[in-house]
Amino acid sequence: MRREDPLARCDGGEFEDYWSLTRYEDIITYNRNFELLSSSRGIRLEDQSYEEYLARRTFQETDPPEHTHMRMLVGKAFSRRVITEYEKTIRELCDEILDQSLPLGEFDAVKEIARQLPMRMLGQIIGVPDDDLDWLVTKGDELIAASDPEYASPLAMDDDSDEYRLLPFRSPAGAELYDYAKRLIKDKAGRNEQSGVLELITRPNAQGEVISDTEFRNFFCLVVAAGNDTTRYALSASLHALANKPELLKQLQQADGDLWDTATEEMIRWASPTMHFRRTAMRDFELHGKNVREGDKVLFWFVSGNRDETQFDNPFEIDLTRKPNRHMAFGQGGPHVCLGMWLARLEVRLLLQALVGRVKSIRQAGKHEFLRSNFVGGIKRLPLFVELNSS
Amino acid sequence: MAKITWKMQDGTVISAEVKDGLNLMEAATANNVSHIMGECGGCLSCATCHVFVAHEWLAKTGEVDDIEDAMLEMTEVEREENSRLSCQIIASPELDGLLLHVPEPE
Repeated sequence: MRREDPLARCDGGEFEDYWSLTRYEDIITYNRNFELLSSSRGIRLEDQSYEEYLARRTFQETDPPEHTHMRMLVGKAFSRRVITEYEKTIRELCDEILDQSLPLGEFDAVKEIARQLPMRMLGQIIGVPDDDLDWLVTKGDELIAASDPEYASPLAMDDDSDEYRLLPFRSPAGAELYDYAKRLIKDKAGRNEQSGVLELITRPNAQGEVISDTEFRNFFCLVVAAGNDTTRYALSASLHALANKPELLKQLQQADGDLWDTATEEMIRWASPTMHFRRTAMRDFELHGKNVREGDKVLFWFVSGNRDETQFDNPFEIDLTRKPNRHMAFGQGGPHVCLGMWLARLEVRLLLQALVGRVKSIRQAGKHEFLRSNFVGGIKRLPLFVELNSS
Repeated sequence: MAKITWKMQDGTVISAEVKDGLNLMEAATANNVSHIMGECGGCLSCATCHVFVAHEWLAKTGEVDDIEDAMLEMTEVEREENSRLSCQIIASPELDGLLLHVPEPE
């Protein structure tokens, strides 16, 4: 499809048909053109009415300058400089998680490792009690993975989800998270408490602007949902790779700082957890001999761009030394580039560093399973055998 | 066209002839200048194209607007008074000879 029909008209099933943009170069060119391809009518392939869009949107569903304004408010809390200060905390969390999981010998690495780190880090970011984290992450999964029966009921696409259509991600979990966020703001205000990265975003920025309660609530849902499962699936793809290619484990066990830089990027390219984001054409345009009409849905398939052989040599191979590696797993090239990318990179790097230092071998102990989704892709179950260093 | 030079902290330089109208983040990534990533494609979302403009060039590279000013708070290496996001500097004949210092984290 990427080679022969790079802007393909696709059958949307019960939803409107849509265009699939699959080449690296095209995605880079069009991702920044938000005036032509807007985020403001939805960012997933499912259709939504204007009423639904208004009720459910976060700043992901806005374009500059509105989007930039929100980015100015929340950006600093997730900037590279601020995130780097979390290195020690993340290292401690990694040690804690591996102390608990690795001695089991045989376990589901998604449940015991990949799900754990982003979840516990979420506690640090939003400053909530550890006891609430499992519940929050479960709700986040219900939002994002609403098409996988394991994670959500009712399904986003079923008729009985109609009563939830005005909620974030068309899921009842959205309402529960809204309520939780509301309580959180109230409790924190009551106790005058200062904790977590989210605290930073409730402070006025250099221009004296403050985030509104609605903006905070929407942002909270976004952090709980979007920031969590994606890092999880980047980790589970990395663990799957190490379990099936022992030479990669060996290479990482002898790695220096430069290799860790490139290896982290390559694992994230390989994983590409967010498979697509959708835009909507704001006017007619022509590309590759096709006529896209105003109102048509156009999907950027980042997962395809990351396998484009015109951009990456041997794209289906994991090359931990790959450089340059200008992948688009974080939606690079446009205004919506992942806010949490520095945190995700640091979590992947530190978890893998801690892991390879402890193990002699890793291999798969049973069949792995993928999440059912056309939006976020990843391994949701990964049985592993782990042999620890004898020391 | 304008000749643009990027100077790294160890003294190495990369120079390139840049076409008018191209922003200097795109010019830097096209010439593989390290530490200039331009993750958001020049949409003022990421602050990964930070440069220090040589003082004698500051007037010619223009003013920092409010959005760029806010985004400069998010750079990896802390901003200085000659900090710019290079995606906001557009190549033109007046910038021929421009020198940019590339911030590098310790």
